[in-house]
Amino acid sequence: MGNKALRKLLRHKDPYDVSKTNQLFADAIRENARHHERHCEDYKKILKSFSCDLNSIKTIDDIKDIPFIPTLYFKRHELFSMPYEKMAIKATSSGTSSGLKSKVGMGYRDLFRGFKMIRKLFSYHKLWSFRRVNYFIFGYEPTKHTDVVIMKSANGFSKVAPAKKRYYAIRWDKEKETFKVDLDYMKKHLIKASRQSNPIRTIGFPAYTYFLLKEMQDEGIRLTMPKGSLVTMGGGWKQFYQEAVDKRQFYTLVKDVLGIEEENIVEFFGAVEHPVVFPDCKYHHMHIPIYSRVIIRDPDTFQPLPTGEMGLINLVSPMNRATPLTSVMTDDLGILHEGCECGVDAPWLEVVGRVGVKDIATCAQGADSLMGKQG
Amino acid sequence: MILYKGKTYENSEQEPLFETLEKDCLDTLDNNKSLKPAMVIDACDQLTQNIEAGKFDHLIQPLLSTFDIPEAHFEHYLSMFKKEALEKKVKIELGEDHKTLDPLDENNERAIRPLGILFHIAAGNLDVLPAYSLIEGLLVGNINILKLPTGDKGLSVKLLSALIEIEPRLSDYIYVFDVPSIEIDTLKIFADIADAIVVWGGNEAIKAARTMASPNTKLIEWGHKLSFAYADSSATDEDLRGLAKNIVTTNQLLCSSAQGIYVDTNDREELDRFAKRFFDILNEVSNAHQPVPYGMKSKNAVELYYEDMVKEDTGKRIYKKDGVSVITSDDSALELSMLFRNVWVKMLPCDSIVKALKPYKNYLQTATVLSEKKYEAYVGKLIKVGVVRIKKPGEMSEALLGESHDGMYPLRLYTNIVETTITIEKCKLETPYQS
Repeated sequence: MGNKALRKLLRHKDPYDVSKTNQLFADAIRENARHHERHCEDYKKILKSFSCDLNSIKTIDDIKDIPFIPTLYFKRHELFSMPYEKMAIKATSSGTSSGLKSKVGMGYRDLFRGFKMIRKLFSYHKLWSFRRVNYFIFGYEPTKHTDVVIMKSANGFSKVAPAKKRYYAIRWDKEKETFKVDLDYMKKHLIKASRQSNPIRTIGFPAYTYFLLKEMQDEGIRLTMPKGSLVTMGGGWKQFYQEAVDKRQFYTLVKDVLGIEEENIVEFFGAVEHPVVFPDCKYHHMHIPIYSRVIIRDPDTFQPLPTGEMGLINLVSPMNRATPLTSVMTDDLGILHEGCECGVDAPWLEVVGRVGVKDIATCAQGADSLMGKQG
Repeated sequence: MILYKGKTYENSEQEPLFETLEKDCLDTLDNNKSLKPAMVIDACDQLTQNIEAGKFDHLIQPLLSTFDIPEAHFEHYLSMFKKEALEKKVKIELGEDHKTLDPLDENNERAIRPLGILFHIAAGNLDVLPAYSLIEGLLVGNINILKLPTGDKGLSVKLLSALIEIEPRLSDYIYVFDVPSIEIDTLKIFADIADAIVVWGGNEAIKAARTMASPNTKLIEWGHKLSFAYADSSATDEDLRGLAKNIVTTNQLLCSSAQGIYVDTNDREELDRFAKRFFDILNEVSNAHQPVPYGMKSKNAVELYYEDMVKEDTGKRIYKKDGVSVITSDDSALELSMLFRNVWVKMLPCDSIVKALKPYKNYLQTATVLSEKKYEAYVGKLIKVGVVRIKKPGEMSEALLGESHDGMYPLRLYTNIVETTITIEKCKLETPYQS
């Protein structure tokens, strides 16, 4: 099955030109679903069980009719359209409270297309740099013990500008044979970096970044990072909702402790089960690039909800041909918004929170997980 | 926020206090004073009066509405901290004669004494639990170090500070820290100081506590439990309604909430008829109560969609409406439900109860039995496999004054029996219960 429409979509100049790419997107989705239907027996069965005829996916309004697959499914089943050994990347998600991780693969061509997409998006957001920077990665140090996608993307992201040095917050403790969070180490090197001329970039879990900066603020540490420094965050605020940390508060904290202006804080929306990232604009809105569409669905009926209403976030993209990520239902609740002063017409996604009350912490829950092992 | 010797500190100020904790605890043990239970009981009694007078409404009212706890239930829980109630608890758990144990013989005396220092690792599923655990430790005269659960909203420190305000002598016996569970090295400091670790929570918390405890530190575990219903086709609508009420009002979040129903049958069609009958009742009861929170409803909607996707492989049948569901399957595994009004219904013939449920031994807590015909036979088997509470369907999660905790009396676990041979008069034991 060809992927003509996808190739055209990737050639489209403006990565946020949603209205002009609607038809191209619908065609690319149909192509992608058809590819998976042909190469993945289980996906074919899923389409059949929902009586989905791909010929009926003609316009952008029809993409909602592609059966969505919950991320849960990828955590409990392997669903691939390519032999496992041929994949360029086999990634797992960083796991949730359930402890299960999604298994998602990418082929070499997926990777190449992903690179094209990133190049366009990062050029748009002026994230490339030729200056050597000190990276502060609030994530895992790459070792043979990690295959978590957050780490992969964090480390991959640290190639966007040449690295002078990389500092990791979660490092492998050889003696104890386990990963250890070492925020003091990050603090020490942040202070050092503030005295150097190379800019810094921080990457990774916002929760750790927040805790470290808060601690530094409490200790009265006020730094001025070299010009061109950036704070970038992916991996979500989702683990974080319970702390009820307001983003505004976070921006003020960054300015206060690191001396980095709000416009130099870039956040990304991303999920291992969705092959597209959404960098935020200078108003911190995560606009949806043309490689992706978001459908917000009503949890009672799964029908699409209008702009401005909260519901389940369903991510649709034709970018992956190794795993059927064509239409994925996340564990997140969100709202689509239209209109932004930054000038981008594409709607933007507000992630409200993870489904389920976080830290429900039922007293019955723990007993269950061990029993699973008893079978 | 943390609490140390009656003074509150910000979390960022707690580290130097780790250094002085051991010395302060040992000094308290060394200083000849002892904590009299009467002091603790009187202080709790005064605190309940203050709560009743509305002094804590700003903290308590939001909790009641979040967890949909009726005012009457709250008053019931509160009454358990009143003087007569606490005195009764002590008597039930330690025995009527706990203040004056008979000597073993004319030369050998016995007395109940505190273990000394307890380190409580509290769970976060109920906001008042950390303070409750600590108060139990105090009641028998222990020094208590409490690690707050992640995401603690400060209620424990406020309640315990209020208790110290009423009875300042308690301040040497209460230390509350806010240390994340991953900071094992710090928690190990507390564990090494303590005579016993009192741990609440799931398997992860219990496992962590087990690795933290050195061989001469006692472990007292209040782990997560599972509860369920056992029924046959003679179950009355009234009983099914009572069970539905337990499921709806607790949203299956408590150890004592029913996660699912076992039916005495090996006929799948009979099972499904039973499930359908219960599903209608569950819906009706659910509609009469507050709706399930949006986030939980959304989580379960996706989960049920998934179950629907794979039902041909799993053999499950799903009855669902507006976030409420009943799911039948061929297995008889005891498992956590999806929670929030989603119930499993499984086959478990009476003569398979022991074989099927014994592997769950210490996870078992409450069972309710719905049968007009074989009630006693079922109850007998359930007790044999390790169920420690058999309750009426609507009363599974009711808390009774003096009832054991998962089949055990905490106050007994938090104390030692001390025996002394009397050689000289002055060595005679002074029990903490002498008034």
